[in-house]
Amino acid sequence: MGQPPFRWGYAIFVLLMLGLLGFITVGVLSLFAGVDVESLGGNVALIPIEGIIAGTDDSGFFETTTNSLDTVELIEKAGKNPGIKAIILEINSPGGSAVASEEIANAVRKTNKTTVAWVREIGTSGAYWIASSADHVVANRVSITGSIGVIASYLEFPGLLERYNVTYQRMVSGKYKDLGSPYREMTQEEKAIFQQSLDDIRDYFVSEVAKNRNLNKKDVDKIANGLFYLGAEAKELGLVDELGGKDEAVRYIEKKEGIKADIVEYKKEKTLLEVLSKVLGRQSFFVGKGIGSSLFDRKIASGIGINT
Amino acid sequence: MPRLNLPKEKTFTGPALIWKRIAAFFIDMIIVNIVVLFPFRALFRNIIPKDYSFSEAYKLLGSSSNYASYISSVSFAMSILVILYFFMMERKMSQTIGKMMMKIYVVSDNKELKAWQLLARSLVFLPVFPFVLLWAVDPLFMFFTKTNQRLTEILGKTRVVEMYTLQ
Repeated sequence: MGQPPFRWGYAIFVLLMLGLLGFITVGVLSLFAGVDVESLGGNVALIPIEGIIAGTDDSGFFETTTNSLDTVELIEKAGKNPGIKAIILEINSPGGSAVASEEIANAVRKTNKTTVAWVREIGTSGAYWIASSADHVVANRVSITGSIGVIASYLEFPGLLERYNVTYQRMVSGKYKDLGSPYREMTQEEKAIFQQSLDDIRDYFVSEVAKNRNLNKKDVDKIANGLFYLGAEAKELGLVDELGGKDEAVRYIEKKEGIKADIVEYKKEKTLLEVLSKVLGRQSFFVGKGIGSSLFDRKIASGIGINT
Repeated sequence: MPRLNLPKEKTFTGPALIWKRIAAFFIDMIIVNIVVLFPFRALFRNIIPKDYSFSEAYKLLGSSSNYASYISSVSFAMSILVILYFFMMERKMSQTIGKMMMKIYVVSDNKELKAWQLLARSLVFLPVFPFVLLWAVDPLFMFFTKTNQRLTEILGKTRVVEMYTLQ
């Protein structure tokens, strides 16, 4: 068999087609891979903490929450990146789960980078817990911060059930197994148990803030009544180090690290697949459970959640 | 003017010389890198900043499982495109651009080249276990077989040949 003829036209067609396929593949990979490739340069990592702080991802198309696992991963990623010299936590959150807040606060404390908490509109409760764990806290004069306390309020609707002739059949093995069930009234004893737990969590919260801010625990205890403070008040109380915004946060870092700050946002972008599967999952939940269950908030229906 | 009735040149096909095969491979890789894999450069540039040393880049890539899985996805997509290049060229013309320039081509031990035979030749490009083992083993076979065949060529019953002329 002789040497086959070579067709340049076909060769060029193959190359052009594969080149085009390459561009499409890169586009698809960027869409579905879920790695924020833009966030890897620079020397200061900006990590946003927005919305309710939770231990799982409850964000949808139109709502933002901070998932502690993702945030901890970003902090650790920035910590391991030799090019990153400091981390700015851009806080705009009313708080959330006590556990999730502590997870993030611990990650901030553990990192070997300089950390600055920049409180924007709001940085209260669990969000302040996180802010207090940073080396430096910057807040606007009218930012809302503080609100150190714990909440576990919930709706009780045995009256509603009674009105519709629905009864709660209590079947438990263990006296306190359905403690906090919204389908029956809580006894005084149960309330006392709950209150004790909340007081313990608050006490731990106060200790952590005092330790993080190097303040006297008794002093923090006095202001830990759930009241929020404006940035200026918080500065006077010692809950905030400096009044200002991003510029002040950057200036602190530049002075401390002796660098010219080049900020990059570290943000875990959700892939299209993740968003779609979440939306579809929620729809399935509502369809499956029926309209009745969708009237109640998922968290209320499943029991009490403790939030800071 | 009458011409002499000279005897026709005697030709036969034999195994392509190894240096020609290596040269053809490098030419193909350069072409694929320039045309087909060009869009992937931007991805890698974003993952590893330009001024990073090797150790810094290594540390960065090891810092998260996300990077590892992302690099794996990108590598896999790139290898598929490379396989497609060799498959489409050799299926239609028994040659790639590199092979054409080196005047060598692919033949089947049977009658004609089949799709599975061409895919078998390209298994070496897959960046997944156990095919990664072929990266070292596959080309080594070329040096130890009389027909200069790679391991995947032996498995796929294909050979790369060139035309020799008897003077």
